[in-house]
Amino acid sequence: MSRSLNMPGSRPPRTIWEAISPFRLIGELSETRYWMYLLLLPSALLITAVVLYPTVYGMQMSFREMRLNRPDLGNDWVLFKHYVRMINDPIFWVSLRNTAVWVTSSIVLEFLIGLIAALALNRDLPGTKLLAVLILLPYFLPNVVAGHMWALMLDPRMGVINDLLLKVGLLTEYKAWFADPTTAMAAAIIVEAWHSFPFFTLLIMAGLKGIPTDLYKAANIDGAGAFAQLRLITLPMLKTIIAAAVILRVIGLVNSPDLLLILTSGGPGRSTQVLSLYAFQMAYKDFNFGYAGALSVVMFVFLMLFAWAYVRLSKVNQE
Amino acid sequence: MAQTRSGSKLLWDILSYAIMIVLAIICIGPIIWTFLTSIKVEEDIVTRDMVYFPTRFTFESYVKLWNQSSYPVLVMNSLVVTSLTVLICLLTGSIAAYSFSRFNFKGRTQLMLAYLVVRMFPAVLMIIPLFIVMRNIGLLDSTVGLAVAYTSFLLPLFVWMLKGFFDAAPKELESAARIDGSTRIGAMFRIVIPIARNGLVATCVFVAIAAWNEYLFALMLTTSQGSRTWPVGLQLMVGEFQLPWGMLAAGGMISILPVIILFAIVQRVMVAGITAGAVKG
Repeated sequence: MSRSLNMPGSRPPRTIWEAISPFRLIGELSETRYWMYLLLLPSALLITAVVLYPTVYGMQMSFREMRLNRPDLGNDWVLFKHYVRMINDPIFWVSLRNTAVWVTSSIVLEFLIGLIAALALNRDLPGTKLLAVLILLPYFLPNVVAGHMWALMLDPRMGVINDLLLKVGLLTEYKAWFADPTTAMAAAIIVEAWHSFPFFTLLIMAGLKGIPTDLYKAANIDGAGAFAQLRLITLPMLKTIIAAAVILRVIGLVNSPDLLLILTSGGPGRSTQVLSLYAFQMAYKDFNFGYAGALSVVMFVFLMLFAWAYVRLSKVNQE
Repeated sequence: MAQTRSGSKLLWDILSYAIMIVLAIICIGPIIWTFLTSIKVEEDIVTRDMVYFPTRFTFESYVKLWNQSSYPVLVMNSLVVTSLTVLICLLTGSIAAYSFSRFNFKGRTQLMLAYLVVRMFPAVLMIIPLFIVMRNIGLLDSTVGLAVAYTSFLLPLFVWMLKGFFDAAPKELESAARIDGSTRIGAMFRIVIPIARNGLVATCVFVAIAAWNEYLFALMLTTSQGSRTWPVGLQLMVGEFQLPWGMLAAGGMISILPVIILFAIVQRVMVAGITAGAVKG
């Protein structure tokens, strides 16, 4: 193989076998002007097939009647029926509010813990390498296992966290964290923060490496304290990377209902029902694909608006 | 003056250690607790007096999980799906990453942006049409279908991450090979890929972990034993068995073991790749 690859494209083939050798043909193809596009073709086709086509399909679905369990209703166009239903659907508004709480609280918590962890790890003290592995690990664990671990620890009858809080005196009796509408969301946010704060740590650590140390030396000479340095040097220098991290995390939090699906399924009541979960249940339980599609489209539009506004705002602040 | 500075440095060092150690305990605490639960005897799990340091150990939960549930089949299915996903990404994604990294052509920036933006598309919006399409072409409830569905969010990630590693490989060696008469594809396979080997492995591991862990697509696109993956099966056990904590813990431990090992091995290169991909995006 390596010999045929080694062949210069211009040399004429010696034998008939060499002339029709696929390696030779590909080698020659790689010298043409369109080579870079050919390399992109397979992945572009695949992404078109599994991302773009389904998305467009899903969008047109949101304007049709499409109920898998009610074939008698047909698949006719219903224009904005699903969107009108959404405006009058109290669950939609509850989900929207819960999504806002879920996303903002998780992001704030993850960013703060992520930043503190990154600042501590960035000092490169002895032993940091091992601690970094342990601290980054949760991000790579599956949602299902993360969910079960915490469900086990927060269990109302045998949860270790209940027992610890009881021993410290913060609780008088075991608490059913996920069964109480006032604590279910908070408990879920803590699990989410545990799972994903390392993402911020990862990105902020990379950003910290890029800040010239001279800046801190100069600040030291000027007598700036640690918090002044954080506020005046570190955070401004990290602006782009924080913006990127926030956008990526917001996309993840808005789009994936996994963790809430595992922990609470939106309950108790509707206290942890978020938009993505509502859309998923509309499709998976009620088989109402049209309405589920409409909910997803609204989610998608919100995300696009958010990303656009956020990028603009962080750019404006930089100037 | 010098004394206070070294004094405050010591203070910050102590504070840093305190933060790192507390965070490390919080991060691995749940994993350790789950492991302890998986080797406890049933009475020590379901008890009013919390057993922090079990004195009796048993592998009953593991045995029960392996023999009485379909877990071995689920793990096999997950292995197949994960391998297929990595294979598809390698075949289609590595050449795309190479193209983005090495050539300057019309529409390059726009295309790269497009590979990034597709990550913004809600999974739920894609899953429903994928479900319908796959049902029509007979790929529903198959490992191949699931692996193809996974590429929807993993292939763009793969391309971006790998492009970062290719960018880091020096272009001079490639030029030298080209002067020596190598074709473009020859230079790619014999020069660039061997140099970026570590990055390639790390990218594959990252994609493999994500595919191995995935829950939502698997839940929607698989319906039977034949292709169901372990996260879906583990979740189903909650309803299937009474008080399945021991088994759930055992299943969790079995399935995160490969993740922990792979992560520990390639963590440094992988971390660099994730950040490179995100920073430039």
